[in-house]
Amino acid sequence: MAVLGRTQFVLDHRYERRNSRHSMNGYDHVFHCHHYLALYTQLAEDAAFMDAKQLLADCAEDVFGEFLARYYREHNVIEPWQRLELAAQYYAAAGMGKLRFVSAGPDSGEVELTHSHVDEGWIKKWGRHDRPVNHFTRGYIAASFASAFGRPMRSIQVHEVESIVTGAERSRFAVVMK
Amino acid sequence: MAIDRKQVIEALSQIEIIGNQEGLIPAFGVFITDLPTRFWNSFADRLVRNAGPDLQSAAEGLLVNAAHECGYHTGYGIITSDEWKAVVQPMIERVPEDILYGAYAVVTAWGWAKADIVELVPNKKMVVQAYDYYEADVVSSGISSRYSAYMLRGISAAFMDLAYGGKYDPAGKAGMRTFKCIQTKGLECGDDYGEFVVTRAA
Repeated sequence: MAVLGRTQFVLDHRYERRNSRHSMNGYDHVFHCHHYLALYTQLAEDAAFMDAKQLLADCAEDVFGEFLARYYREHNVIEPWQRLELAAQYYAAAGMGKLRFVSAGPDSGEVELTHSHVDEGWIKKWGRHDRPVNHFTRGYIAASFASAFGRPMRSIQVHEVESIVTGAERSRFAVVMK
Repeated sequence: MAIDRKQVIEALSQIEIIGNQEGLIPAFGVFITDLPTRFWNSFADRLVRNAGPDLQSAAEGLLVNAAHECGYHTGYGIITSDEWKAVVQPMIERVPEDILYGAYAVVTAWGWAKADIVELVPNKKMVVQAYDYYEADVVSSGISSRYSAYMLRGISAAFMDLAYGGKYDPAGKAGMRTFKCIQTKGLECGDDYGEFVVTRAA
């Protein structure tokens, strides 16, 4: 069992031989590569029949909102700042990048990303893009704020205002409660 | 058969993959993520169901394509990795057939699917059966009218590309999509296992 950081995220990784599944803290997990998430993101960008960019963010918000809330419950993590720090640690452990909650309050927040699987994977595959594409992380940040401050899902808007994929040194996200 | 599947699974399922100081996992020539299966299933299922009858097949095709590219590049990274060389390479007698059998042991070790090859006609056809796979989790009760193992379809075709499609092309233009895969059975559709048939692309 790996323990990470100052406020320590406990990773309980298991491999179940019976069905050949990996789990992390009770949730089935699976390895995938940057091609996979880059292509899912491109698919979301290109889908004309629906707002699949928001769908990608919503899926991340739903899944990680539940995952983080359960973790905080089971480990009795109460303080919002602790919850956000743990959310950043899990994000890094999962290979998604280096997330920092610059400021956070019950109504707004600012988040930055100095390394990003989505952006660096996209650049590695296709080069820079003319607009932000990190819909996954918008959803993850929404889940992090909702679970940190006890808000319902879809109560938080996250805007990617600067983006590594467009050439910025770091990605920045603006968070505001609806 | 030279591949000791049980030994490969035992060795490679225990590899610890975790983000570095930058929160990234550079391995096998790609960046890796370790995310909940439900995230992948949620996006795929909601996308296809929202596409409507006219566009569902096209949406499914795009999901298969994502896995095809993933399987091609990550598959190549796996079969040229130090871990592969240490564990699987010494067992290989027939190339590329044993590499394919080894690859499905890795698929099982990594939690993509509990899957193995049940028929292999070199350079022509491969049939894979999967007795557990996370993509079947889109159904919790009852049976679905649509197969949903897009990832398994994509990586199975990609593995045949790597085996018989010529030299690996990092750009993915020359050697990729020489094979295609259809799903013929599915746990999510009430079958006892998932079945995937890979043949030459037209």
